[in-house]
Amino acid sequence: MSLLELDTVTVRFGHGARTVHALREVSLAVEEGQTLGLVGESGSGKSTAASVALGLRAPDAGEVRFDGRPLRRRRTAGEMQAVLQHPMWALNPRMTVAASIAEPLSVRTRDRAEVRARVAELLEQVSLEPAIAERRPHELSGGQRQRVAIARALITRPRFIVFDEAVSALDVSVQAQVLQLVRRLQAEHGFGALFISHDLAVVRYLADRICVMRAGEVVEDAPTEAFVAGPTHPYSRSLLEEL
Amino acid sequence: MSLIEIDDLVVEFRTPRGTVRALAGATLHASAGERIAIVGESGSGKSTIGTAIGALLPANGGFAGGTVRVDGVDVGTLDRPGLRRLRRETLGFIPQDPIATLNPTMRVGGQLALVVRDLGGDASRAALAQLLEEVQIADPADVLRRFPHQLSGGMAQRVAIAIAMARRPRILIADEPTAALDANVRREVLKLVFEAAEQTGATVVWLSHDLDAVAKWCRRVAVMYRGRIVEDGPTASVLEAPEHPYTQSLLAAMPSRLRRGVEVRTYTEMLASQAGEPDDAEVGA
Amino acid sequence: MTGAAAALARTPGRLRSLRTSDPVLTIAVVILGLLVAASLAGRLIPGLNDGTTTVGGRFEAPSLAHPLGTDSLGRSLVARLLEGIGTTFLLSALAVLCTAVIATALGIVAAYAGGWVRELVMRIGDVLYAFPAILLALLVAAAIGPGSTAALASIVLVTVPLMTRMVCAAATDVARRDFVTSARISGVAAPVIMVRHLLTCVSGTVVVQGTYALSVAILVEGGLSFLGYGVQLPAASLGLLVSEGNVYLLTAPWILIAAGTTMVLAILAVTLVGDALRDRLEPREAVDLT
Repeated sequence: MSLLELDTVTVRFGHGARTVHALREVSLAVEEGQTLGLVGESGSGKSTAASVALGLRAPDAGEVRFDGRPLRRRRTAGEMQAVLQHPMWALNPRMTVAASIAEPLSVRTRDRAEVRARVAELLEQVSLEPAIAERRPHELSGGQRQRVAIARALITRPRFIVFDEAVSALDVSVQAQVLQLVRRLQAEHGFGALFISHDLAVVRYLADRICVMRAGEVVEDAPTEAFVAGPTHPYSRSLLEEL
Repeated sequence: MSLIEIDDLVVEFRTPRGTVRALAGATLHASAGERIAIVGESGSGKSTIGTAIGALLPANGGFAGGTVRVDGVDVGTLDRPGLRRLRRETLGFIPQDPIATLNPTMRVGGQLALVVRDLGGDASRAALAQLLEEVQIADPADVLRRFPHQLSGGMAQRVAIAIAMARRPRILIADEPTAALDANVRREVLKLVFEAAEQTGATVVWLSHDLDAVAKWCRRVAVMYRGRIVEDGPTASVLEAPEHPYTQSLLAAMPSRLRRGVEVRTYTEMLASQAGEPDDAEVGA
Repeated sequence: MTGAAAALARTPGRLRSLRTSDPVLTIAVVILGLLVAASLAGRLIPGLNDGTTTVGGRFEAPSLAHPLGTDSLGRSLVARLLEGIGTTFLLSALAVLCTAVIATALGIVAAYAGGWVRELVMRIGDVLYAFPAILLALLVAAAIGPGSTAALASIVLVTVPLMTRMVCAAATDVARRDFVTSARISGVAAPVIMVRHLLTCVSGTVVVQGTYALSVAILVEGGLSFLGYGVQLPAASLGLLVSEGNVYLLTAPWILIAAGTTMVLAILAVTLVGDALRDRLEPREAVDLT
């Protein structure tokens, strides 16, 4: 049984003649502790797939299953987290780093000492100084902000994390640091991940399995080694040649 | 004599929090017809060097040392009419976000006509359509009628290239022209830029953060770090045997070169650990 | 980065930089301070407030004893004016407070809910906004009878639509942001998200729009009282005094001049302060380097 499954999911935007299919019978699965890389250009439907997987948008047809049961956001709160695209907007500018990281935990516990201890623990895990806890987002660099976002996502010990273009806005060298961090944390925590990016190189580094989307459809879905060795779809091949 | 001669250039910005040095003694020479890529990360000063060539610095910035010469003329000593002539006759800019640089209230045709008329050219519908055809826009008549916000990113960038090339500039400065575009459109736009430059013999200065992409188009690359050019040479040798540790770390960090189990550290981190400082030196970038 | 983004990136500490070298703003702040102080003085210092006492003859021109002259009942115009400023400011401030609470709540809920809720709130706002302010105020006064309550309700009704729209726009911008999405995914309850994220991030907009609403409020109170539907005699308000000055324009022009000038100064000062606040709290674009 897969950790998270999209089963022939269709999502439409608009009505009548102007209907646009954002997802067309998309099926994909993320296994426990594994990373599924989702590659596609803008408009391919990969971000819609992310919001469906996170339960933020209900599919028009098909089913989303978490742990074999239909996805309900309330039930999965804390088991599912996300690290999203924009480092500037990943954090509330009015809140301290510590408050941001602690937020997902505040749903579950009111024990302040416990929360503080967890925040300190996670700052260390994402290689940030303890002093950063009291700072606000505008005092941090893009890479530091994304590390904070990762710490926030990890604080509830989730089993599934969606990374939606989480490193795309970062400089190359900072990007490499964050990618290495994600790999290390996954080895330590064993969360399953859906890693979405337009950059095949980034996905190839992280993913156990690569899924290519184009115009709302999955055109290829294969284990990373097999994909790199010989993609079957011409579009995947052209993506690989770009590298 | 080189077409562009930047010598020991220092550029400073006045901010509420004090003076910020964007260029700290950058030196770069480029001859006519050369294609040169300037590679650097945010805060490296590559955008500043691009704007400094046309003395197009923001109002709070200024030259604080060194010189920029274009065609032997010191840009810093030019008066307003002289600068305007330099920008009009010698320089072409291709921006990062073309939609934002086009006038949102004017149709594409109107904006092109303005540029062409300004140059004393033929601003008839047919001539404008011809300009767009040259940048491989399939349906020029339709695009001429559109407003900038009705264009796709790739389309808008083609229009921006058409506008820049209409002046037949001797220097074409492209500041991350493909940053906002999808991978497949990216290649076509770059091809267009370099082919257009080839035809007119323009010198291309391409500002980029992507060493891999640079290798396909430019024979020469300059790497910037913290306001200085730290490495400058033939692209092939810089990519294969980088001399400066920053270039080495930048190459190692390229996602296409990342390998599982091989730890990559940033140059800033390396410097910090050598100096015995904590690892949060990133903030200054 | 959008304007709101830039505004949010600033700390509340920015407000401190309101102490500025801009002379116009300084004058505006001083005028506003004086007016507020005067209205308080009118209430607090006994004797000054003696608007009911006849102190001299009718329509005495300004003199040393009565710096602004006297009115139709021989009362000191200084005392009447102080009482008037007090009434107008208190009424306007109370109304704007109501507006701020209603508009902020509506705007944030509409922004967070999105979809048809947002459309409904915005369209009702549009309908209200389409009425000329004074007509709307007259309708309210006709419905619930003239008086301070009518003035208060009118001001709220006139100022709520614009403020709701502005708060909703700012909150919609925030609601799309990643940190709100992250909070939703973590299972944080909607009311908590609205207070913790949306409210804190639109507070600047609320303050700025509240200041603008205050100047509208002073104007609406003036208009209503002038027409006889607002504050009623024997109380005083700036609008009532202007109305009185209008009646005795030829015999005692100083009444209209004093009341009118005060009203213009008050509105001007409030608007200027609002502009300055907007520049500090909601700059249109970020000053970003390199």
